[in-house]
Amino acid sequence: MGKECLEISNLKKSFGTGEARQDVLRGMNFTVQKGEFCVLLGPSGSGKSTLLNIIGGIDTPDEGYVSINGDKLEEMSEKELTLYRRRHLGYVFQMYNLIPNLNVKENIEVGAYLSDNPLDVEEVLTTLGLQDHKYKYPNQLSGGQQQRVSIGRAVVKNPDILMCDEPTGALDYKTSKEILALIEDCNKKYGSTVIMVTHNEAIKNMADHVIKLRDGVVRHNDVNESKIPAIDLEW
Amino acid sequence: MRNPLIKRIPRELRSDWHKYIVIILFMVIMIGVISGMYVGHDSMLAAVYGGREELNIEDGSFELSKKASDELLDGIASGEKADVRAYYIDKGNKEADEEVAKAIEEELNKQVTEGIEEAVRAQCAAYGITDETLIQQQIDKAMTDSFDSALLEAKESDEYQKAVEDAYTEAHDEVIKKVDEKWDDIADRYNLNDEVAPVPVTIYEHFYREESEDNNNDGTEDAVVRIYKSDSEIDKASFNEGRAPEKDNEIAIDRMHADNVGVKLGDTITVGGKEFEIVGLISYVNYLTLHSSNTDQMFDAFGFDVAMVTPDAFDNLTARVHYSYAYKYINVPENKVEKADYSDSFLKSLITQTLVHDSEIEDYLPEYLRQASNFAVSDIEGDSAATSILCYILIGVIAFIFAIIISNTIDKEASVIGTLRASGYSRSELVFHYMSMPVIVTILGAVIGNVLGYTAFKNLAVYLYFNSYSLPTCHAVWSSTALVKTTIIPLLLMFFINLFVIVKKLQLSPLRFLRHDLAKTKRTKARRLPAWSFLRRFRLRILFQNMPNYVVLIFGVVFIQLMLCFAFGLPDSLNHYAKEAPNMIFADYQYMLMDYMDEDGNIIETSEETAEKFSLEDLLYPKAKSSIREGMGSGGDESVSVYGIVADSSYITLEKDTKDGVYISSAFSKKFGIKEGDEVTLNAEYENKSYTFNVIGIVQYDGGIAAFMNIGDFNSTFGHKDKEFSGYFSRNEITDIDEQDIGAVITAEDITKVTNQLMHSMGKFMDVFKYALIVLSASLIYLLAKIIIEKNESSISMAKILGFRNGEIGGLYILPTAIVVVIFSLISFVIGYMLMIWIFHAFMLQMDGYFAFYMTKASMILSIVYLLIGYAAVSLVDFRRIKRIPLDVALKNIE
Repeated sequence: MGKECLEISNLKKSFGTGEARQDVLRGMNFTVQKGEFCVLLGPSGSGKSTLLNIIGGIDTPDEGYVSINGDKLEEMSEKELTLYRRRHLGYVFQMYNLIPNLNVKENIEVGAYLSDNPLDVEEVLTTLGLQDHKYKYPNQLSGGQQQRVSIGRAVVKNPDILMCDEPTGALDYKTSKEILALIEDCNKKYGSTVIMVTHNEAIKNMADHVIKLRDGVVRHNDVNESKIPAIDLEW
Repeated sequence: MRNPLIKRIPRELRSDWHKYIVIILFMVIMIGVISGMYVGHDSMLAAVYGGREELNIEDGSFELSKKASDELLDGIASGEKADVRAYYIDKGNKEADEEVAKAIEEELNKQVTEGIEEAVRAQCAAYGITDETLIQQQIDKAMTDSFDSALLEAKESDEYQKAVEDAYTEAHDEVIKKVDEKWDDIADRYNLNDEVAPVPVTIYEHFYREESEDNNNDGTEDAVVRIYKSDSEIDKASFNEGRAPEKDNEIAIDRMHADNVGVKLGDTITVGGKEFEIVGLISYVNYLTLHSSNTDQMFDAFGFDVAMVTPDAFDNLTARVHYSYAYKYINVPENKVEKADYSDSFLKSLITQTLVHDSEIEDYLPEYLRQASNFAVSDIEGDSAATSILCYILIGVIAFIFAIIISNTIDKEASVIGTLRASGYSRSELVFHYMSMPVIVTILGAVIGNVLGYTAFKNLAVYLYFNSYSLPTCHAVWSSTALVKTTIIPLLLMFFINLFVIVKKLQLSPLRFLRHDLAKTKRTKARRLPAWSFLRRFRLRILFQNMPNYVVLIFGVVFIQLMLCFAFGLPDSLNHYAKEAPNMIFADYQYMLMDYMDEDGNIIETSEETAEKFSLEDLLYPKAKSSIREGMGSGGDESVSVYGIVADSSYITLEKDTKDGVYISSAFSKKFGIKEGDEVTLNAEYENKSYTFNVIGIVQYDGGIAAFMNIGDFNSTFGHKDKEFSGYFSRNEITDIDEQDIGAVITAEDITKVTNQLMHSMGKFMDVFKYALIVLSASLIYLLAKIIIEKNESSISMAKILGFRNGEIGGLYILPTAIVVVIFSLISFVIGYMLMIWIFHAFMLQMDGYFAFYMTKASMILSIVYLLIGYAAVSLVDFRRIKRIPLDVALKNIE
């Protein structure tokens, strides 16, 4: 840790025009260090998902820039952006978006295929506790299990940054904690930087770095000195 | 690492097998039937053309009144024109010499006799002898004593020599004068003065006899059979079954004739009073259709047969031998024009050589004009037009189905696509992935279709041709047309249409996929609906929400209607034409004469009151070629009959002067969209001549592609003599023209005969199409309805969760579709019908002749009813499908 991995500078983004115009990001600035577990916290409509999408290179800002390892995304062509996502990012969404006619192992291989130095699929399956389910299809799994697969798909790429958009949003308390613990494990074990969007205040306690958003600006940008393991979180 | 997405493809095929089975079935039927038609067609033509080489078809034949001498055959084979003038002069001189010699002899005898008598009488007078008896005795004595010496003396005199010479010269001059007088006429008639290069030929003896054939040995004649020897070197036969006759009681007969009259191998038939066992069923290379005479409008495979027997058996038959000789050019002509030039040149040699060798020509026919060997070929060649049109319609339908399926799949998998794109999958990787399914299915369909095309469906096509003509056995040949039209083009079309749809769909950003924001435009407000009942409004909402799917369904219904119109309309149009044909003919009898003069040079006249002379030239109207392969399906040029009509004709009224133009038939005008004031250029088929005419009017005549002009203008245009004409129109039968002067008689019956034959050979073909189309229509509706239900699966599941009963859901989701289908099956019938009229016109452009698209009312109603019945069946399946949608679909797939 300590090396700057991500820089957000004066990021602005609005939707709609005229009266219907809505400023979602209104000049956002912060940096994230390599290997950090960073939580973007805020109520719905605070612009956290939009911010995550811009960082992920699947949305573009109106103003300002995102720089990853010194490369500015705005200067990249679409092809370069695709390559950037392919090499550096792993995505976990609230909805698992698994491919229904591929089994668990194959869904994870979908991620591994994209990487130049993927992790061992079997190892990831073990880490995620999916060894017993690896030949099942997504519709044979519970929501939590499906989310594990989706994390596996992102992690197996061995990404520089793991982007998680409300990964526990559709899960119950116990499963949510298990999933958070898994993300935490991956962060520790593989050293990926984690940027997690959530509206769940409790999750900030497991993060190295907490950025609170409201109305499109950063309200708090704190380093968490007393983080606790995910499994001990309560809400 | 292999892309793990590849593993989805076989699973996708398995999980959605009924959808893909329908598509593959669709492709297999389409590609199979059409490639079968093409392969059958090409194989048949290959067999026919191959046969021409292999079985040594003639370039023409002639028949002489008696067996030709070797000198005559040598003369004809040389291709040189015989010197007819010299022959006549020589012959004249010989006759003249004999006459002159006889006259001189008589005159000399007379003069010597008179001289002797005169001298004796003078002597007697000098001696005073007056007794006449005594004088006569002295004369007789002098005659006996000195006649010979006096004769000799007279012959040796200069005076005599000169007189004889003068007489011969005068006689010879007279012969030349007489020959020249007559020669001009003869030479003119046969263009014998034209200098043409001789066309040397090889001549083959090809004698035949025509015997009576009794198929069931009941003593009555059932057919006339033309019998050749089995060892003939020219115009050989291919054996469909069996072998050549080896014993003198064996015979091989035409396969088609045998089929028609119901005899088979091993049967015994009576020919010329002798019993023969059938040991072979054959197809003579020059009798693909059983035209007994070249002037027959239609062939007769019942009443006429061709056969072969051993040379000994041939010699034992009793009917007169026809001294027919076949010939082959030593230098092969390259094209039609050259063929025509060759045959003209050959005919001159034939006429002159037979003349100078004191023989007579009974018949002459160059092969390229021979109906029996060309009728079937030109018919088969023209056949692919209908197949092409159908092929293009179906390719459109399949491409369109795939585009919908792909588009729906992408909609359904939007989140997955968004996630994959967000994770770094490139657009091209996804394009490749989504392209693989249609490509695999198309290839699968194409492979199975082609395999069936080369086997089962080819046999079907060949069977249809065998039903009509005496064709040789054929083997499947590689048909590049079939491959291009049924496989390459559909594959390319499928590839590019899908590529277009997929690339366009995947153009969207990953974010829009993740948000399911795939619509191009968005309505900001919901449509306002009148205050109808809730269910009605709900239904309307479903209709609005699924608008794109309904648009697709409507297109599908239009396609189906188009196909049904095709299936019902084509036989209807043929039947209608057959029914109307007799009314279309403008003269009840149209007598085509062999020549306007009879053998004696008298103009052929008739006492029939309604008879009216006309002239006719067959020209060609160039058609734009519309197919990939030259000739195939293009149908060649359109044949146009140009009529010369007498002034004040009671058959065709030409109001305007035709000095500067022609009238054309309404069929000609409709087929090529030619209007009054346009120009048409017509070409002579066997000569390099073109004629350009202004169209000055349209004659209401739908029976054929024709042009009309005044007979005078006709003669000056085509360089005919004033008294020349081609035949007679008549309302009644003409009985006072010698049959041998009549080339052909065309009556209403002949036109119906042609359409009947067309129905006979195309009827079964159309039935195959009709059933194939009905299956295809049902599958198309099935696919489209399935797509609508699939798209709404989660909404239906949600409606179930909310407590709606299956019946109510059916009412909500099936009823709008039913209403749309019913309304649009009516509207699309009109669209399909109009489209079909247009397509039919395009189809007609590829065929010879013209008739318009026609559907009976019953067919119109049936085409709609068929579609609705198909839809009703599909609705039942849909309802079952709705019932089976589980409740958790809505809960599991929130995306």
